[in-house]
Amino acid sequence: MPADFAIETAGLTKIFRSRWSRKEFCAVDGVSLQVPRGTTFGLLGPNGAGKTTFVKMLLSVVHPTAGQALIYSRDSSVPESRRPIGYLPENHRFPTYFTGAGMLDFYAALSGVSAGDRARRIPELLELLGLADWGDVRLAKYSKGMLQRIGLAQAIIHQPSILILDEPSDGVDPVGRRHIRDILHGLEEKGTTIFINSHLLVEVELFCRDVAILHRGKVARTGSVKELTMGKGYKVSAPGEMSDNVRSALGAFASGVAARDGVVDFQFGTREEANRAIDLLRAEKCEVESMIPTTSTLEEVFIATVEG
Amino acid sequence: MLITAALIRDTFREAMARKIFLALILVETMYVLFFLFILKIDIVEGTVATFTVFGKTSHGMDVNRLVSEALGAVASFLYTFGMALAVFASAGLIPSVLEPGRIELLLSKPVSRHHILLGRYLGNLLVVGLIIAYMIVAVWAILGAKTGIWAASFLTTILTTVSAFGILLAVVVFMGVLWESTAVSTLVAIALMIISVILAQWEWAYRVLSSEWARHLWKGLYYVLPKIFDLGSMTRAIVMHKPIESWMPLWSSGLFAAVVLGASLYMFSKRDF
Repeated sequence: MPADFAIETAGLTKIFRSRWSRKEFCAVDGVSLQVPRGTTFGLLGPNGAGKTTFVKMLLSVVHPTAGQALIYSRDSSVPESRRPIGYLPENHRFPTYFTGAGMLDFYAALSGVSAGDRARRIPELLELLGLADWGDVRLAKYSKGMLQRIGLAQAIIHQPSILILDEPSDGVDPVGRRHIRDILHGLEEKGTTIFINSHLLVEVELFCRDVAILHRGKVARTGSVKELTMGKGYKVSAPGEMSDNVRSALGAFASGVAARDGVVDFQFGTREEANRAIDLLRAEKCEVESMIPTTSTLEEVFIATVEG
Repeated sequence: MLITAALIRDTFREAMARKIFLALILVETMYVLFFLFILKIDIVEGTVATFTVFGKTSHGMDVNRLVSEALGAVASFLYTFGMALAVFASAGLIPSVLEPGRIELLLSKPVSRHHILLGRYLGNLLVVGLIIAYMIVAVWAILGAKTGIWAASFLTTILTTVSAFGILLAVVVFMGVLWESTAVSTLVAIALMIISVILAQWEWAYRVLSSEWARHLWKGLYYVLPKIFDLGSMTRAIVMHKPIESWMPLWSSGLFAAVVLGASLYMFSKRDF
């Protein structure tokens, strides 16, 4: 029976010890996460939250102090379990003696792609990533954005079913970013599980279905982007020509008040409060422009989580 | 096999991209050419009529003896300086692969850590082996063409020099994994080469040292550490068709390399990157 989860961690913990003083620092503290097959998953967190250490433990680059990381229910420390993974690390340093095509050939061979398939896939991917004319050029001549694109090509050359991307848009201009997102959408449609570790909240919000927010090594929040950003409250808008008494009565229980183009917006935390506001406005013969449920941005959720 | 071949090819690429390897080939080519031009031999009916080196001419030497001595001297030179240069050239190849941003990607592939390190070791050994083979075959061909004597025993120098380099490379790998420093790796390997010359004089040390524990320490170190100097002497003896007194330096140095390489693999498998 195929595993339900592409990635699964149970109590994953990493404690770093300094070599001499033996001082301990817990980078990841008992993280249990489940990433279903075929989903797009974003891992968020402030600097030093333990995101990169977590990703490295998924790939067995860092050994967990406790807990387990599973790829399709197999321990990720077993090399064969990593065959379905494509990975683009943060701050990668591809050897500059490679040409673009040479680099793809090397990493594809390490992923077990046959010579025939490599010969076919390399030009295809260079074309897809807009690097068709750069295949024979040494990586030393590539710009940061081009290195990021060739890095993505090496991550997908063996057609992985799980793609782990650490800051995939780092150094890429907005057009290139859009291009990368389109490629990732194409892979998502084919059922690839995409796991993104990124500081760019807008990018994660645009692309990912599920997210987890890591804070001080622990999962502070997890859920779908839709769930996390919904239910912030309600906005009641009314024409600006209302008495000061009405305005202050509404302002007393509104969480926010803002005026724009002759309209005043009152923000309320609950539906009951919004209805109470409407009753008050109607009782004072004031008109109601609109009442709409409002959502939070992922950025607001993120900040509330790490600061609250 | 596909993965091993990829790792070896990668080491070749990196070795060739490093100017130090090209410099090594250049130096060795210059040495071969130098050897070609300084040596003038005139052979008449199996005897050296005149033999000129550095402008000095000798008459009526036995050609077999001459060739044997010339090859012995060349083998010793190649063994010592060729290997020292190879250590300098190779020492950076292990730390470079452990650089942040590069090692993570390698380790994320479905390849065991042992495979990665041994692939690198093997690749390095092959690169240096080819360069050493190029030089030894070239010298052998020049001398053979000039004297008509094709001393096959000289070609065993390839094997002994590469074996001795393999032992030092194990040390380079160990230091590379432990410290990730090219300088430290080079320093330790060259130090072992030099120390082996001193430790090989343990019989002399036994006579002159008054302290018993110092004698034991000297001999203990001699047995434990790789016997690079003794392996060089063995190489010369093979080339000159002299008997080998003991194969102990070969197997004990091989054992040392195996232990050091095993320790490197263990450390590499346990490390976080």
